Amino acid sequence: MSLLELKKVCFSYNHRNILENINFQMNRGQIFCLIGPNGSGKTTLMDCIMGILPLKNGKIFLQNQDISQLSSKNIAQNIAYVPQIHKKTFPYTVEEIVLMGRTAYNNMFASPGLGDLFIARDAIKKVGIGHLKDRPYTELSGGEGQLVLIARALAQQTDLMIMDEPTTHLDFQNSLMVLEAIRHLVEENELSVLLATHHLNHAFYFENNGLDTVAAMLNHQKFAVFGRPGEVLSEAHIEKVFNIDCRIIDYHSKHSLKQKYIIPLKTIN
Amino acid sequence: MPINKPEITGFISKEKKYYMVFALLIILPIVAIFYSLFIGRYPLSFLDILKVLRFGINHQSNQDYPDIFNTIVLQIRLPRAILGAMVGGSLAISGAAFQGLFRNPLVSSGILGVSSGASFGAALAIILYGQNYMVYFFAFGFALLAVSMSFFIGRIYRSTPAIMLVLGGVVVSSIFSALVSFAKFIADPYEKLPSITFWLMGSIANARYRDIFISFVPIAVGITGLIAIRWQINVLSMGDKEARALGVNHILVKIITVLCATLATAGAVSVSGNIGWVGLIMPHIGRMLIGNDNRILIPASLSLGAVFMIFVDNLSRSLIGAEIPLGILTALIGGPFFIYLLKRTKGKGW
Repeated sequence: MSLLELKKVCFSYNHRNILENINFQMNRGQIFCLIGPNGSGKTTLMDCIMGILPLKNGKIFLQNQDISQLSSKNIAQNIAYVPQIHKKTFPYTVEEIVLMGRTAYNNMFASPGLGDLFIARDAIKKVGIGHLKDRPYTELSGGEGQLVLIARALAQQTDLMIMDEPTTHLDFQNSLMVLEAIRHLVEENELSVLLATHHLNHAFYFENNGLDTVAAMLNHQKFAVFGRPGEVLSEAHIEKVFNIDCRIIDYHSKHSLKQKYIIPLKTIN
Repeated sequence: MPINKPEITGFISKEKKYYMVFALLIILPIVAIFYSLFIGRYPLSFLDILKVLRFGINHQSNQDYPDIFNTIVLQIRLPRAILGAMVGGSLAISGAAFQGLFRNPLVSSGILGVSSGASFGAALAIILYGQNYMVYFFAFGFALLAVSMSFFIGRIYRSTPAIMLVLGGVVVSSIFSALVSFAKFIADPYEKLPSITFWLMGSIANARYRDIFISFVPIAVGITGLIAIRWQINVLSMGDKEARALGVNHILVKIITVLCATLATAGAVSVSGNIGWVGLIMPHIGRMLIGNDNRILIPASLSLGAVFMIFVDNLSRSLIGAEIPLGILTALIGGPFFIYLLKRTKGKGW
């Protein structure tokens, strides 16, 4: 049984087609990297999968259930979301933020209970930020803040996690921190992750580390290419979708097999 | 499992603190009400008050003290303190809820035009019927009308983004302010205008049990609703999309929050007149004392607002010979505090 299945998904906004005929399946323990230029519809596709935007055509199945028939509470018990930009207003503590991941399991007029608190604390520990538990999340670094949101998604105890460019605005160390956290979650919890990213090398990062990785390049409302990162992210495909000249190099480290990296060179007009 | 042990004890101490805070929040307003029985122009000793509480409540005749003591304590000071607690609590809890809903720590209970609507309703009733019970109903009715207008203006785009609601509130507030000015302009300057002006400054000096009964239902419903939904307000303050992804029916929660906060505020202002600043400042004192988690902040604001209003009302009747309108005092205390607040938060949150 596939975890997530999209069949002929179309979405339009103001009579303009944003997505046309998107088809794919996602399995358990898989990482699905959604790649595409700015404005190619990555966020729209993720919003459709979360049931936030209604489809024009086609169907989305979550564990064989039609997503348009599910309540937001029901969807939240199956899909967790890590946003790209999070506007911080009130200085909630890390624990309070992560506890919000338990909302879908409680009655509308109830607050989370003791069991929820333990699950939240467990999630905090799993992403390795136990020492930040009582800190206001407004004071954390970008990477730590992102880990808090990942912990919140983890506390939702879903099989699928959707992440919208989880490493934007992060420096090298913080990006790697987030990538490693995602890797551990997939390896240890059999979680599936669908993530949109501008960093094509991130798709290679997961593949290089031996995870079941799929990459799809979204361009002109459609999937231009779809498959293993090693096949999808070729010099020819990248040139076609991003209009850039690039090289893909193999790097042999001491301990691992050969690892692939993309080096962007120049734009093509 | 040795690893779990500190976790569990950590939780219990947190729970203990939680209950202690709650106990304090319940006790403080009661203490404030009791204390305010001593405040007033007519000097009563501690013993007098105790006697009144002992005998007067049971309507027992007692030769020890004159009947006027009963009247002052039970018919004037006590209802005034209770109404003060209800009004202050309602304004503060609504302010806290709106701050969470609009994701902006600088909004208050009047953000959707509830106070300006009530002001116009009261002015209209005073012009049409004079100073009688109609003032309550008009104030309450127009308060609800103003908020409904803001809400529907905010829904022009078929969704309820917070900024649209706030803009709706700004528009509706200014319309009703203009109408209040117009009402003052046409009002009889010797009889009606002073009543309107005085109402607009806010007072609970003439509070009787009747006022408590009139405002009790909307205030009780509003407060209960806000307390029930306080966790969802936490989640909603993450923004609509995230709240939805976390499983919150954001439109329903918004409607419930706006409805309950409006009921509580409208119930309060219809008996007390316009009292500003409480709904802005009390939630902030709460934030400084116990943090931003609405699970505690919402009930804490209720309690702090009640205590603050009793305190201000005590000042209002004891500072000078005449009663100072509450709106003046809350603004005089609130204004400087607001500046301090801006300095402390460095203007963040706008």
